[in-house]
Formats: sequence, structure tokens, C-alpha cells
Amino acid sequence: MRMRQAAVAVLALTVLFCVPGGAGAKVVHGRAPARWIDIELEGSNGYSIHISVNQRRHLLLQVTKEGYAAEYMTRDVLAETDRVKAKLLGLGTISVRFHPRGPVRHPSVFGCGSKKRPTVQPGVVRGTIRFVGEREYTQVKVHEAEAATEKPTSRCRYGAKFESNSREREWVSKFSAEDIGALFLARKYRPGTIDGGQVLYWAETGVRYETASGRVPLVVYRHVRVPAPASTFSDPHPGYLTVSPPPPLSGTGTFARTPESVFTWEGDLSVQFPGLDPIPLAGPSFGSEYCLRESGCIRQDGDYR
Amino acid sequence: MLLAATGAGQARLQRAGKFEVQQADTAGFLRLGNERGYKIALYMPNDRVTIFYALRSEKLKDDFFNVTYSLYAVHNLGDLEHGVVRARFGSMGRVSLRFRPSGRARKRDPQTGCEGGAETTEYGRFVGHLSFRGEGYFHVSSAKGEAYISHSPRLRCEKGQALETHPRSLRTYVAPIPVFPDKDSIALLYASTRSHGRYVGITAVHPGGSPPGADVQLGIVEPRHGMAIGHGVYLNGPAGTLLTSLPGAHPATATLAPPTPFYGEATYSEESDIWTGTLGVKLAGLRLPLTGPGFHVHLCVVNPLRDRDGCDFFKAEPPPDERPARLERGLR
Repeated sequence: MRMRQAAVAVLALTVLFCVPGGAGAKVVHGRAPARWIDIELEGSNGYSIHISVNQRRHLLLQVTKEGYAAEYMTRDVLAETDRVKAKLLGLGTISVRFHPRGPVRHPSVFGCGSKKRPTVQPGVVRGTIRFVGEREYTQVKVHEAEAATEKPTSRCRYGAKFESNSREREWVSKFSAEDIGALFLARKYRPGTIDGGQVLYWAETGVRYETASGRVPLVVYRHVRVPAPASTFSDPHPGYLTVSPPPPLSGTGTFARTPESVFTWEGDLSVQFPGLDPIPLAGPSFGSEYCLRESGCIRQDGDYR
Repeated sequence: MLLAATGAGQARLQRAGKFEVQQADTAGFLRLGNERGYKIALYMPNDRVTIFYALRSEKLKDDFFNVTYSLYAVHNLGDLEHGVVRARFGSMGRVSLRFRPSGRARKRDPQTGCEGGAETTEYGRFVGHLSFRGEGYFHVSSAKGEAYISHSPRLRCEKGQALETHPRSLRTYVAPIPVFPDKDSIALLYASTRSHGRYVGITAVHPGGSPPGADVQLGIVEPRHGMAIGHGVYLNGPAGTLLTSLPGAHPATATLAPPTPFYGEATYSEESDIWTGTLGVKLAGLRLPLTGPGFHVHLCVVNPLRDRDGCDFFKAEPPPDERPARLERGLR
């Protein structure tokens, strides 16, 4: 099968959200399952792997470790209430059946009120789960795993978020640069506002694999969130900024005004996700925005031509 | 756009308490076709003024555009109310026309906030003599073309709803109107001169957040043999059009090098307050240098985080006697 790889617009801040099966949900193969299925796994090299199928019949495999997360999403899913079959385009296959075990629970979920607790049926899945990350940065192969089916109750959001607590909105200055398929965020805080430093960095990429017929068998989002000291974010005067974030980001990005009165975002800033080559996060194609809380923002369109 | 610049549909008003009166008025138009890329027309914004205009508009790639125009305004010696236009354009030509309605007409209700009769537009043609030689780049000798005359009755309007009074000075009908907003600009250069009654002003603006390049506007206004003549250019200049020093840098400097119909480039230094270089403009029938000691230059370069309103034009406002009245009113 001939595949085309294309960058996709990244979903900043909220990458995954649960949506009830409403008008927007399309049923591909028969009746949509009334419940989600969640499977927790341990991958190699210390990565956690979570597999879920939502009411839209999207299978999502999330790989996380510390500030890093990757999400592999496919719509090539045969999903019923207790059975899931899916292929992850050269990265693995999932073919399991759910077996309930134990009583039903109603756990609280971040972002949902107490009245919107889901109904969770714990159990196990049996069959085949095989996943090998790019360049084998992590892998898992099991025939049985703990799992649960979940009956969602309402429109409640959860998933990866840039702001994990409300204090992270109290930035002093911030910068963002976005191109198709790549997003870079940096926020600077007063001392003591956030843990681990005074600056919070976020890099996110999205890539969509597309067949010649236009089918999209796999979409992959990756992001990393890393705190850093104030010295990595230097904005000595309004309108000039240099960032040098720590790994897995590397290099330097500079936001500066030119004699054309255009603000450029240049440098060798990049992010290195596990199993991939470094991805550039600066250049003329990036649109950018620099803000001072007390003064406002400077926005500059990218050169998408 | 140029119709608006010449005060289309405006009528005299009288203010009285909560209401004001918009006086009856008549306007006319004669489309004379295209010549050398210019759209040529005769326009009567009211019963007292007749304007020959030539307009060329080019749409360039990346949504860029380039507009050049020439306007020649004189007093109408005829009676437009009765369909008569008589005007002399010095040595350039003259018109002596009478309107012949075709029978087709259209009525339009008064604008919101006003009451009175409907505006009536009669379509038809003009007959009679017309000859005009526009500074060597176009020549019209026929009055053939679509035409109309609009009669606006006297209206009673809520205060502030009546259209503005017609300007008395012919000069104001041909003065440039700011097209490019300067509100969000972060770099603005304005160079102007006035000599022997001729006003020349060039403005280059870079709006914050926009790609490299600058919007450029040139306006030339001069009296000649009882006429007011206006030439102008509006264009989107590419990268390299306007280069300036950074905000807060002293002495501030700027280089202006807009594309055709301009040629050459000009430089300005705050230190010497001199505007020098080879910059000029070549319009149909006119080749004009745009630098020299007679020019006053105003340069504004702001940091959008410190000056949220950008380069307000009035930071670079020319002295009142260098500012055409129409330009002044358009900005206030």
C-alpha cells in the first residue's frame, strides 16, 4: 500500500477529549459500542501504554513517560462492546476480547463533576496486543491484560493538557510558534509559581498517514512538556526573545524585529522525540506570537507560501 | 474609490436643533471607456464641479494591488439640474454637453435617519462637444458612453445623518484620501513638500503582523489654469519597500524603495534630517523626483508592546499648510 505522510494541525492544549456519541459520531461497521474500552500496559524502557476505543470507533494508543506522550490514533477498527480488532500501520496489531471481572465502579474523573462519574466495568482482555514504537523505542507484546469498559456519562474532557494546574495561567511573558504539524509554546513565570523552574516549554507535532485513495489509517500526535530555569528564556526588552530549552528540546530560537518591521522566528531549535529524528521548531514558515501580560502581544504571520 | 474621494452624493446641509437639512442636489456621470489601461470618465459630484478622471488598477500576485489615478477638477458653468455641463479644462480641453435621458430611471429611498422624497437616477447619454487631452497619455474626443444624472431632493434628517457639505475648494476634490489604515502600523514614513502651490506627499506604512513590505500612497495636488489637478498612487510594496532602524534606536533611519511606477530609492536620517536619494515617480505624462531639501520627513517606528495604537498618523502630521483639506478631514 502506497502511503503519504502529511503534517496535521496540532491540537494545542487538549489533545484528547471524550465526546458522547452524538450527531457527529459516524458508525462505520454496524452498531457503535455503548462503552469504551481501556487497557493499561507496561512497555519496554519504562514507557506506559494505554489503549482505548471511544464511541467514535477511534482506537487510541498512548505512550507516556515523564513529560513525553505520543498518541497513535486509527479509525481502522472493528469494535463491538466486548471485542476490538485494529491495525496500527506497521507498528502493531490489537485483537482482543473483553471478559468482565469484579464489580462495577464509578470513579471520579478530572474535569467532570461528581454527578458525571462514568460507569466502569473492570476485567481482562485476551487475544493479541503487539506494538513496536518507531526504532523500537518501546514495545509490548501480550496475550492478556487488565482492562475496563467505561460507559461515559456526559461531555467531560480529559487527556493531555499543557496547563496541569490553574497557576500555570499566571505567566509573565509567553511565546508560541506554530507551523502546520508543529507547535512550540514557552511561558515564563515569577519564581515559585510552577514546579521545576520558571519556564514551561511545550512542543507538539502531528502527522497523518494517508493512502493514495485518501483514507487516513493512522494519525500520530506527540508532545513533550518540560520545565526549565529562567535563564533559558531571555527577553531583555519587549520584542526580542531567545529561548534555549533543555532536552528533549535542543538548540536556540530567536524572535526579533528586522528593519522590514517583521518579527522573525529563527534558529536551530528542535525537539527530539523517541525513535525520530529531530524536528525543527523555528523557521520562516512558523507564525509566532509573543506576549507580555502587562502590555499585550506581537503577532507575526508565517510565510506559508 | 475615487468617486468617494471626490465627494459623491454629498449635499449642503443646514443645522437646526435636533434636525438638519440636507439640501437638494444633482450629480452626474459619463463613462468614456478605456484608453492605455486607464478607465476614463467625466464625473459631476454636484452641480458646481466637473471632474475628468483616469484610473488604472492592477491586481498583482499574492493579493497585491497597484492603483494610479489622475483627476482634473473645474467648475461647471452649465446647469446640471437641467442636464447641461459646460466646463473648460485650460489648454487640455473643454466639454459642452446636454443630457438625453433614455427613459430608464431608478428611485432610491433616502438614507436611514432622513425623510423626504426619493433620489431619482435617470439613465441616458450626453450629446454635444467633448475633447480632452490628458497630459499626453489619453485623448478623448467623443461623448459616447453610458451616463446618468441623479437628483436628490431636499431631506429632513436627524442630526448627524445628513451627508456632509460639499467642499468649496476644487483642490479638495482631487486631494488623496488615506486608503491604508495607520492605526496598527508599527513603521510609518511620511515625506511631503509644498512648492508653488503643488503639494506632494508620500506615505509608507507597515502594519504590525503583516509580511515583509509596506503599503505606499502618493498624492500630488496642484492648481493649474483654474483647474485642480490630482495624481496619485496606491500600492502594496513587496519586501524591501520600507526599511527602518529599530524602535528606540537613534539616530532613526529609513530607506524607501517602492516598486513601479516609482523608481530609485530615498534615505532619511534623523540626525541630519535630510531626505536624499534617487526616488521618483513616473506617471502618465509626469516624471517627478520625490527627494530633495524641500521635503519634510516624519518617521515613526514603534514597539507594539509599548505603543498599542501603533503609528498614529498624527505623530507624523505635516504642518497644516502642507496638508490638503480633504486629507485632514478624512483622518479626523
